[in-house]
Amino acid sequence: MLARIVTIAAILVVLVAVPPLLDIGWQNAMTNMLIASLFAVAFNLLIGQAGLLSFGHAAFFGVGAFATLHLMVVIEDGGLAFPTPLLPLAGAAGGFVIGAFAGYFATMRSGVYFALVTLAIAELFHSLAPHWDGLFGGEAGLSSMRMPWGGLVYGSSLEVYYLALGWTVLSVFLLWAYTRTPFGRLTLALRDNEQRVRFMGYNAHSTKVIIFAVSAMFSGVAGALLAISNETANYTLFSTHVSAQVVLHTFVGGSTVFFGPVIGASVFTLFAFFVSDVTRSWLLYQGLIFVLVMLYAPHGIGGLVDAHRRHWSQLRWSELAPAYGLAALSGLALSGATIFLVEAFEILFSPEYDAARRRADGAWPPFELFGLDWQAFGIVTWAVPVLLAAAGLLLLPRARRALRQAWDGVLERTEADRTGSVSPELAGAAER
Amino acid sequence: MNTEPVLRLSGVGKAFGALTVMNEVNLDIAQGERHAVIGPNGAGKSTLFNLISGMFPLSAGDIRLRGKTISGLAPHEINRRGLSRSFQITNIFHRLSVFENLRIGVMARHGVRYGLFRRVSRMRGVNDEARAVLERVRLAEVGDRPAGDLTYSEQRALEIGMTLATGADVILLDEPTAGMSREETDRAVELVREITEGKTLLVVEHDMSVVFSLCDRVSVLVYGNILATGTPEEIRNNRQVQEAYLGEEVA
Repeated sequence: MLARIVTIAAILVVLVAVPPLLDIGWQNAMTNMLIASLFAVAFNLLIGQAGLLSFGHAAFFGVGAFATLHLMVVIEDGGLAFPTPLLPLAGAAGGFVIGAFAGYFATMRSGVYFALVTLAIAELFHSLAPHWDGLFGGEAGLSSMRMPWGGLVYGSSLEVYYLALGWTVLSVFLLWAYTRTPFGRLTLALRDNEQRVRFMGYNAHSTKVIIFAVSAMFSGVAGALLAISNETANYTLFSTHVSAQVVLHTFVGGSTVFFGPVIGASVFTLFAFFVSDVTRSWLLYQGLIFVLVMLYAPHGIGGLVDAHRRHWSQLRWSELAPAYGLAALSGLALSGATIFLVEAFEILFSPEYDAARRRADGAWPPFELFGLDWQAFGIVTWAVPVLLAAAGLLLLPRARRALRQAWDGVLERTEADRTGSVSPELAGAAER
Repeated sequence: MNTEPVLRLSGVGKAFGALTVMNEVNLDIAQGERHAVIGPNGAGKSTLFNLISGMFPLSAGDIRLRGKTISGLAPHEINRRGLSRSFQITNIFHRLSVFENLRIGVMARHGVRYGLFRRVSRMRGVNDEARAVLERVRLAEVGDRPAGDLTYSEQRALEIGMTLATGADVILLDEPTAGMSREETDRAVELVREITEGKTLLVVEHDMSVVFSLCDRVSVLVYGNILATGTPEEIRNNRQVQEAYLGEEVA
């Protein structure tokens, strides 16, 4: 518990103290990181705690953004003296109302049908918004400006960052406090066994509607922060891409751990910030990361962190470190090979390279990658990825064996600690 | 003694499409009675429980709980009127702790259904009561473990505890000793006897020794009809019942 408080405090200190030292690009990236984190934690209230997978959370994110922009327009026109820092309340209200309404219908079903209804709701907004000038500003969307309030101008990225930080910390704290309430416990029970909840005297449907509305409300706050940061919003906020992105963030971060979605959202936002400048294939890499995490760490990054935390006293780093080192080497070699191939093929199949070939009368000119020139049909060129992949594949089974052995040991010691003694069977296994 | 039955089934029928699984069942359960429903497989015992607890709607007839009709009500409404059921296949919250499984029931009893603005750990009444139920079903030692990690018989005990925790005083237990060893069965019967003290119990059971030692009255259900109702002794000596169900084992 103490360790957790110290960790959270340290992270908060970094979040408050570091951004003034960064340039504007970084400050904006940090703001986006906060928004994505809040959105993912709000979304995870549904999947992680209530066991409801929504594929249409862009609807509530977008509604929050548009509600806030409408309020900003009114303030800008001088009609209302509303404090700028409280703008996200509009997003919260919009998200809650639309969430309660949409949730009433979506939660009549569960599983796949629930997911499909949420998908349809977001699609409804996505196709309606471009044609509805008054409410969503048509295809161009709505724009406004942050008005100065209370001595603060809200002109700089840094001020916007701090506004987003305040609201994100407050919202995530409230969502965490939610898990400690009787209703929060009921939410978990509902995830485990909806039928039993009904037979214990709870109205499962109205319970789910409230959970849905709360999740939508905080998604609306996240949307509001985006509207404040960008000072504009259009119908693309309702797109499937936005809905899918939050699913991706949540699962890569780990839906079973409360702070997991924060990890996923932060990692992917920063990943996009760095990698999207370097390569056009960054979405492909993001997808690969998602698939790999789902296959080999289904509880996400947060799940891995949590496993180390839970077994902290049973971890033997002398066994774990070599295993992790081996896994890292193998992973580096394999990703090196993958990246080389993806980037090389992207260049070779690009229109620019096509043009270069035509200039060279159909010959295959060398291409530049990682600051070096490579022959299109050179042995060296293709030996690099082949050797990297071979090395990675050679190390992979060894790494997996080492990982399994190291963790078997951890679990064994955990079991022994729990039962108070090592069972003969386990002791035998340890000797072998 | 109050003569009005706590639970009255009159002309209860159920059909799934063209398939009639229950005909005109009439049954009165008196206050404080321990009543067993026995019958061969497929006789409709579980269907009867599903009808009473609101899982399925009735096709015909009426069910009254303390004189008020409960037919057509949703399961949670029936539970709030004081009737709680267990399940034949263990139906618990696997990932929650044993204590929390019971606390969900106690919360319902206190009407804490939408408690969003207080901390559950600060609700002393609820926590104390959940701990008391935990001790009554003899699971105090494993209270912190995830319910899914319990042994089978411990999960059955938890199942009964959850049924009781909502505070209902009409308890329906669906095969509480199914799949248990002799020893476990004896302990489970003792537990059921002890914790349903002062409550009305309706139990589906296959084990005749359990039925005859636990219950005051027995109803025999065969092909969706009540063949006979009476004391265990009367049922044991009823020729029709012997032929239809008990067979040579008891005769």
